[in-house]
Amino acid sequence: MEEKFILNIIHRPEMVPEYAEKVTGHGKGEDLGRKALLTESLDIFKLQQEAAHRNGLKTTIQMTYASLFNDEAVELAKEHHAVYGDEIALTLLGLPCKQFREKYKTKDFCIWMFDMETKRSIVDDVFGKFYERFGFYPESTGSYYMDAELTNYIKSKYPMVKCAVATCWEEGPKAYHTCNNSWYTFMDGGPWAPWIPSKVNTHAPAANEAEDSGIVAIPHLSRDLIACYDGNGSNFGTHPQNVLRGMLYTPGQFGPDGTYSGQTYPYLYNLIDQFRYQAKFNNGYAYNMMFVGPGWMNKMGRWEAPYELLKASYDDGCAYYGQLKKEGRLTDMTMSEFADFYRARKHYTEPECALWRDLIYGSDKQLFWYCDPYMRACVNMDQGGAIVDLRPYAAKLEWPVGIGTPHVQECGYPFLIQEKYRAGYFTHYAGEGTVRSAKLCCDGEEVDLCLCRTKAHFSEEDGVRTLTLDPVDIVFAAATVKLQTVLRFEEGSGAIRIERHILSVSDPEAKITLNEYMVACYGTTEYPEDMTPVRLNVKRGGEEHPLQYAYRCREAELDGADEVSAVIPPIKTRVWMEAEGRGKRGYYREGYAFSPMFTLGYTGEVKEKEVFTTWLRLARED
Amino acid sequence: MAQAGKGRLNYRCPSCFMRDLDIDMFYDADKGEYYCIRCQYTGREEDVLKKNDLARFRYRCLTRRFAMDEFEQF
Repeated sequence: MEEKFILNIIHRPEMVPEYAEKVTGHGKGEDLGRKALLTESLDIFKLQQEAAHRNGLKTTIQMTYASLFNDEAVELAKEHHAVYGDEIALTLLGLPCKQFREKYKTKDFCIWMFDMETKRSIVDDVFGKFYERFGFYPESTGSYYMDAELTNYIKSKYPMVKCAVATCWEEGPKAYHTCNNSWYTFMDGGPWAPWIPSKVNTHAPAANEAEDSGIVAIPHLSRDLIACYDGNGSNFGTHPQNVLRGMLYTPGQFGPDGTYSGQTYPYLYNLIDQFRYQAKFNNGYAYNMMFVGPGWMNKMGRWEAPYELLKASYDDGCAYYGQLKKEGRLTDMTMSEFADFYRARKHYTEPECALWRDLIYGSDKQLFWYCDPYMRACVNMDQGGAIVDLRPYAAKLEWPVGIGTPHVQECGYPFLIQEKYRAGYFTHYAGEGTVRSAKLCCDGEEVDLCLCRTKAHFSEEDGVRTLTLDPVDIVFAAATVKLQTVLRFEEGSGAIRIERHILSVSDPEAKITLNEYMVACYGTTEYPEDMTPVRLNVKRGGEEHPLQYAYRCREAELDGADEVSAVIPPIKTRVWMEAEGRGKRGYYREGYAFSPMFTLGYTGEVKEKEVFTTWLRLARED
Repeated sequence: MAQAGKGRLNYRCPSCFMRDLDIDMFYDADKGEYYCIRCQYTGREEDVLKKNDLARFRYRCLTRRFAMDEFEQF
């Protein structure tokens, strides 16, 4: 299949950029109609458009509500559509302006946070104004997050909408902390690359036509799948000024004539290239989007970066994309063009895969990300192929957001495993952290595969994506075991099959036991949730040992168990493990107040040339 | 003593940056220094720039440009 690297460049004439009013207006009273601010904002939009066009790239112009009141912005959009083929679209970002404040009497500006009635009113207002100015309705829209109810409403009233910016990858508690707990965009747990959202939950991809929300969603920026997972997301994306925010550049300097030059940011290009590289794991398709709000290029500079550097970095970013296009390695599309391309190219259950390498820290670390309508999972090769993040999309969890719902700000899809928020292999002195790994035991010694750093190789056959890890040595006093882990993701199954191949044992008589385990809980942030609704079970045939969670440290095990399971009603999820191997014995462990987790697992015996296989399965509780 | 304001550039606190916090600093013209309102860092512009460079210690590949085929090798 022909390789395609698709680029969406999106610009929005945001008349009152989110940052500009607060940051560059320091020392002045708030005035959204300040003429200097409006003029500067439009100038930045023009600058961005010019940078893209100069490099032969088309854009999607996402008109903001505020810009629809500005004749010049409207005329510019029409002209650029006619001359460059840019799409005129509509964003639900950029609501703040005098007209909006006077009408809605609120300073809220995030569409997903309004109550549903206000969301509908704003959508009709904004779409209506757009129609009034352009004589047609837009095919593309978006915001930082588009909740399912919002998307469903838009599709019902404006069915021509086919594409939307619908989440910002791993923009959640980490971004909140980076802003000293003042930036309320909680939207962890979603796809990092385009997907078709389900009607019930935006982050969970649709599994079939019945679940299809009718739009193709794209993420806000293409983000570094290692650096953003661990650190501040807003430092590591295909957003040149984010790269400056992260200090991921070497500064240039001003010459005698006032020009700025000498700056370098190889990381930005490495990041773009690593996204291109993902075509190897996705049937020849890879994707990038760049979406820089005007506030990032304002004349006052942005943090320690002077305006000249902000501008140069945007020019350089566009120039690199332009160069790739000239070389035939990139196809630029508008959002609606991309939606058509995506629907023609991908099918519902086809997963998105990413085998991601550390580009900046020099750690040689590898993560594998997998996303389909049933789960999002992260496999960490630096921890022996442990699963360190798991989101059970199979539940298609109803999760209304906004004022008047239980989740005013929180849009994240809940996790079962999240090594950053609920520890992973390592905890401080007591308790356990969430992770899916295995331990090998011999003569009273125990080694967790989380301590066996390795690398992965990707392959695909008959709808099964396979991750084959390089073998690792586990050294005990009595014997050395060479073990190879293979993870298989069978398309449409909602299961992860993990095989442990015992390649060799230095002492064939050594008694080696394997403990395949999953420590899990549920949540969207670092803080614990009530575990008492959780039900654990281990069963074989008609024999069952159910347990209602009560933080009492209880456990049960069963020889030859068919399955060990947990039902987590607050996230409507059932997770269970099955095993195939010699001497298999299923177990569960309840946690306790200082370790509010549960553990599911299987133990078994292994010898040279044997394989022990487990399945981790996910489904909706009911 | 007059109130503090923003400096020539909008420097962040390098100490907070190293713990993934973006905190704008304010400029005390009387003392000629920037100061952080969250932590205890204070410093003149030269010191801020020096500490910003120090914050880059973790970016060991800051200046390295990878070729596409290198992604296979690490």
